[in-house]
Formats: sequence, structure tokens, C-alpha cells
Amino acid sequence: MSKVAPTSLGRILLLLGRVALAAVFLVAAYAKLKPQGGMPWSPASVKISLAMFAMQVDSYQMLPVNAVNFVAHALPPFELFLGLWLLSGIALRFSSLITTLLLGGFFSVMVRTFALGLEVSCGCFGPGEQLGTKTLLRDGALLALSLAVFIGAFLIRREPDEVGASVGAVATPRRAD
Amino acid sequence: MNLRRNPISWRFLGSICALFVLALLVLWGQLLAPARAQTQAAASAKQPAKASSKSAPKAAQAEQLGTPNKGVGSPTAPVTMEVFSDYQCPMCGQLFQQTLRPMINDYVASGKVYLIHRDFPLPIADHRFNWDAARWGTAAARIGKFEEVDTALYENARAWGADGNIQKYVASALNPADFKRVQKMVAGCLTQTPQEFRPAVQAGQSCSLDAFINQDIALGKQVPVQATPTYVITKRGQRMPPGSGLVSWPLMKQFLDSLLTQ
Repeated sequence: MSKVAPTSLGRILLLLGRVALAAVFLVAAYAKLKPQGGMPWSPASVKISLAMFAMQVDSYQMLPVNAVNFVAHALPPFELFLGLWLLSGIALRFSSLITTLLLGGFFSVMVRTFALGLEVSCGCFGPGEQLGTKTLLRDGALLALSLAVFIGAFLIRREPDEVGASVGAVATPRRAD
Repeated sequence: MNLRRNPISWRFLGSICALFVLALLVLWGQLLAPARAQTQAAASAKQPAKASSKSAPKAAQAEQLGTPNKGVGSPTAPVTMEVFSDYQCPMCGQLFQQTLRPMINDYVASGKVYLIHRDFPLPIADHRFNWDAARWGTAAARIGKFEEVDTALYENARAWGADGNIQKYVASALNPADFKRVQKMVAGCLTQTPQEFRPAVQAGQSCSLDAFINQDIALGKQVPVQATPTYVITKRGQRMPPGSGLVSWPLMKQFLDSLLTQ
């Protein structure tokens, strides 16, 4: 049995990390878009779900009504797009950077809301989940994972150049993953 | 297949993973949504029975007294909104002032929404008079004057929260005859209100209002209410997941409009 090279192990971990992040974003988008109250899938039921998500965004008391509506209607499709982008592995450095920034934004908003003592629905994976220490820990862990994927994507991207420089060979550009 | 040297293979693997996860999500949605709807329907059908079986003696007591009507508007409205609230919770007061009041003036008045108040007094040391306020509200609801007293309680929560003189604001919201009826009901119930603001207790008079408040709390625990205010919106049996916290009226209106046009 051949020994697994450190680079291969890194790539496997990177693959697992980005697939996990992608799954989280796809589930989050699905939970926000899916019809509530046992309604069937239809444009009207998705509109109701988005209107409900807008109320959750509003309960954070950070944005004016227009901005709340923009965020509530743009975020679920963007999460869906980001999840698919992460899964595809295309330009992972950029997708993981955006993911890290997005999760960092979510985390800071949640910490602020928690520190202010506002008792609101998290809205992270659809309605009905209260913001608390559990949701903060989960979001913090996801942020750490996203950061690890981002750093990993850069390190693996740099590896061929470093190897090339050390042996004096011409390095072939490779994909980050 | 050498994945390390072949970027096409990675792309292919990524696409396969994406398709697999998408297929799982679609299946999850298709298979679980109807089952969950059935479970929810069954649960909501069981809820009243469960509540009544849990608090059988309290229910019997409530029956004897007559159930207080804490609803505002027409019970036949297509949308029902239940708000679990604590009269001394500042966010509940804000929700009432900024969102529920315009909703009462517009959607409740036009028969689109039926608003139900549910008492959920929180066990917080600062909220000394929340149970007493709930008792005044419940007593007023028993004589059909809930809306007036509810408004007075929310509007003056800071004032009576400081000294416990709730009856001053209830008296200002009702005519003298109605106030006397309400005062008679709460006599003997008030536990935290300072002595000088409590109505005189006559011999043999006991408090029966707490049974109604406990019924509301039991309903809230089934939701489950984790914070106040928590609101549950139902449209012709389709119960939406509970929401909590402050919501501005334009966004609540947008949600109600999308629900009503569905």
C-alpha cells in the first residue's frame, strides 16, 4: 500500500472542508426558500418564505426596511450560488474568501445582537431557531472551517511554485484543489 | 485516475458531488415536506386536547368562570396571529406600539387578521408586576373589555412597572361600572402590587384568573416560546413557524399581504 503524501492528505482535507461548507450553504438556502406551513412549492409560497425571512432579518434591528428587504431577497439565492461554487471547486481561493467574509459578517452581527440582549430568531437555517450560545458556537466553528479552507486553498496553490523553485524545474500552474 | 495531476477530474468530481447534493436536497424536500405537514397538522389537532388534559382542574375552573376573550377582531378572519407577551417586557411594548397597533387599525379592523393576546409572564426579578398586569388584562377580557385594558397596560408599562399602581391605568381605560366589575375579579389575586393599590378583598373571595394565564403559558410551552414577544401566524390551518423579537410594521404588512394573496 502506497504512503499518502502530505500534499494529497491536504487536498483530501480541503475537499472535505469545501464540500462541508457547500452543504451548509445549500441547506441554509433551501431552508430559507422552502415553503412554510406545509404549503406546496410555488412562486407564491417562496415569496411567503422570503417575506418571513425578511421579518427575521428585521428583528436584528440593524438595517432600514429597504435594506432588510434587499438582504432577505438576495441572501438565499447568493447562498445557493456560493454553495454550488464551493462544490465545483472552481477558483476555490476566491469562493473561500467570499465564504469567510460572509460568515465573518454573520458572526459579528450575531455577537452584537447577543451582546445587546436582543431575543430574536437566528434565521440561519430558516425560521424557528432562537439566537443563543449554541448558534454562536456553530457559526464560530463554520467561520473557523471556512478560514482553514481559505488558507489551505492558498497553501496548496503555492506548493507547486515552491517545489519548482527548489529543484529548479518549471512549475506547472495547478488548480487550488 | 490521477486526481492530483488532472484538473478535469477534480472538476468532474466536484460536479458529481454538486449534483448528488442537489438531488439529495430535492428528495429531502419532496419526501419530507408532506410528512412534516401531516405531523404538524396532527400535532395542532392534538394541541387543545393535550392542553386540556394537562390542566384539567384549571380548565374546569375556567369553564365555571367563563373563558376570557383576549382576541381582537373577527375570529373568522383568514389569518390568525397569536402573540405570546409579557406586559413588562420592553420589546413586547415596542411590538405593540410600532407593529400591532397599526395592524389593529388596518388589517384587524378590515377583518383580514384576528389578533390573539397570550399571556406569557416571564420569571424575571425585574418584572415584578407582570403577573398582576396579566390578571388585570384577563379580568377585563372576561367582560369583553380586553382591547382597552391591553392598550392601557402597554402604553403605561413603564409607569406602573415602577410603582405597581396598575389599577390607575385600568380605571382610566374603563367606565366606572366596568372598572368595578374588573376590580372585583382581581381582588384577592394581586400578589406583587403594593397594598395601597390593591382592591379590598371580601370574605370568601378567591382568585381564579391564574387558571387562564396558566392555560396561555401551557400553550406557549407547546410552541415552544423561548422569548417574548413570540408570534405564531396561522392561515386557515396552515401554521407558520414561530417568530420572535421586534418586527417593523411595513415588513409584517408585506408578510401578511403575501400570505393573504396566496
